Amino acid sequence: MTDDDTVHEDVWVFVEEHGGDVAGVSWELLAKGRELADETGEDLVALVVGEGVDDVGAEAVERGADRALVADDPVFEPYRAGPYGDQFRALVEERRPSIVLIGGTTTGRDFAGRVAVPADAGLTADCTELDVDDEGLLLARRPTFGGDAMATIKCPDHRPQMATVRAGVFDAAERDPDRDGDVEAVDVVVEADDALSRVLEREVGDVADITDADVVVAGGGGTEGDFAPVEALADALDGEVAASRKAVDEGWVEPARQVGQTGKTVRPDLYVAAGISGAVQHVEGMNDAETVVAVNTDPNAPIFEHADYGIVGDLHEVLPELTDRLGGRSPPEPTA
Amino acid sequence: MTVDADWTIVVPVKQVPDADDVTIDPETGTLNRSDAPAVLNAPDYNAVEAALSLRERAGGEVVAVTMGPPFARAVLETAVALGADDAVLLTDRAFGGSDTWPTSLALARAADELDADVVVCGEESTDSSTGQVPPGIAAHNGWAQLTYAEELEPRPDDDELVAVRDVEGGHERVAAETPVVVAFEYGENEPRAAGLHRKIYAETEFEPEEWSAEDLGISEQVGLVNSPTKVGGMDTADPVEREQAVVDDVDALSDRITEVTADD
Repeated sequence: MTDDDTVHEDVWVFVEEHGGDVAGVSWELLAKGRELADETGEDLVALVVGEGVDDVGAEAVERGADRALVADDPVFEPYRAGPYGDQFRALVEERRPSIVLIGGTTTGRDFAGRVAVPADAGLTADCTELDVDDEGLLLARRPTFGGDAMATIKCPDHRPQMATVRAGVFDAAERDPDRDGDVEAVDVVVEADDALSRVLEREVGDVADITDADVVVAGGGGTEGDFAPVEALADALDGEVAASRKAVDEGWVEPARQVGQTGKTVRPDLYVAAGISGAVQHVEGMNDAETVVAVNTDPNAPIFEHADYGIVGDLHEVLPELTDRLGGRSPPEPTA
Repeated sequence: MTVDADWTIVVPVKQVPDADDVTIDPETGTLNRSDAPAVLNAPDYNAVEAALSLRERAGGEVVAVTMGPPFARAVLETAVALGADDAVLLTDRAFGGSDTWPTSLALARAADELDADVVVCGEESTDSSTGQVPPGIAAHNGWAQLTYAEELEPRPDDDELVAVRDVEGGHERVAAETPVVVAFEYGENEPRAAGLHRKIYAETEFEPEEWSAEDLGISEQVGLVNSPTKVGGMDTADPVEREQAVVDDVDALSDRITEVTADD
């Protein structure tokens, strides 16, 4: 399975698309991919798979890709690992990219894990930093052990070098309508009948996305199951409610709102941690917040070491008072 | 081929260091994993529970599999205590240093050897958190995959497993042909406690089967040398600098928050 001397070049970005909507992380990866391609002197190629996605390919060019490869067929909507994986494998064998970047979403991780095996690729999960060394080798850095350590992973002998990357780590590539590039329709190698699975129903929009919020107010064990003060403050600040693993495990808050190693990574301007002790697994998910405010009854809670401003007190008293003051100052904008 | 509607449900499990006890060597910057007691990977409790629940509804047996050194049998004992019918230990020096590519190969071969109808994995391991092994197993065997599954509905008469999956911003219901590999989402069920009799059996009588890389026919495809990824270095993460200022009253805190949120 060790690679031969075949030349592998170009940086590919998998543009994740669902029913015409592109996952934000894909545009973030185009920005980072552009940097890497410029450094190695290679092309940046966007891989777009879906149905009716020519315009997504065109947008990828506007956002920095030199070329977009578009595999367009009804078999690709909605996403399934089998058809996507077979198409990817055919393209990789034919075109031999050096680097492939994929967003670390549930779909991206499902896809990456599937395709790395038949491609004999090295795959690094959930990277937060990417670089290339002097020989063009990808240096993929990822947090390990609850964010206490960073590991650098290399893939010296196998191509492509693949990495999934966390959403929100890089800034998205801007659109430039004057950029030139090819949008190439590639041969679809997948037959509809080959699929091992079929999607019976798909419903999106029922789950909150806390990763995009500017303000996140999170509650933990200290709420004792009463999230009303957390929700009220989030409301006053026009933010999203989030939770620690403890609060999710107790069933107080749905899993989509969990912040931390087994939950989501958030990057708000303001993160309020209320009644959260501050285990490393939680802190990893909020480390990218611009400002962290902590409210906890225990003055020795580790969360205070990870906060910019803290107050020792019961959140059931502190939060309502805070909501009062903030609500009074910034009433919600009237909606048209 | 036996005519048997019952399912063989294979649960790959992993022994991990207890996360709370892992320390970083300040000299070398590497993790002192050996200091920490080894335990069953927390998300694997959800996988075992999902497998036992499938067995109750579809009939059949649950077989736990782990790859690791001889002492990794401890997590197989845990799985058997929880209710698994049998367990297999994949142990061989040749496996040492395997990344997710050869690890998923070994587990895929074992699942095939066991004639698995369904493979239920935990979402990811707490020590490496890649989540790559379940789709890797599916890819090696050319089987269907259902990752981030929150609910499972067995349809053994149709050779199908239906799952509710977590997708970005929502959910989907997917039917997959068996054999199929599931990655069950962490925390999405209530793992049962081990029964006392089962626990005593697991600790005193139960012996897992042991398979080597050669038994699986993959001696030349596993281990560090056959792992595409190499760890190029490990260092402690730069701590994020925080003010760490404790304010005295809510007014002061309110002022700070107003400053922060006024920027945009």
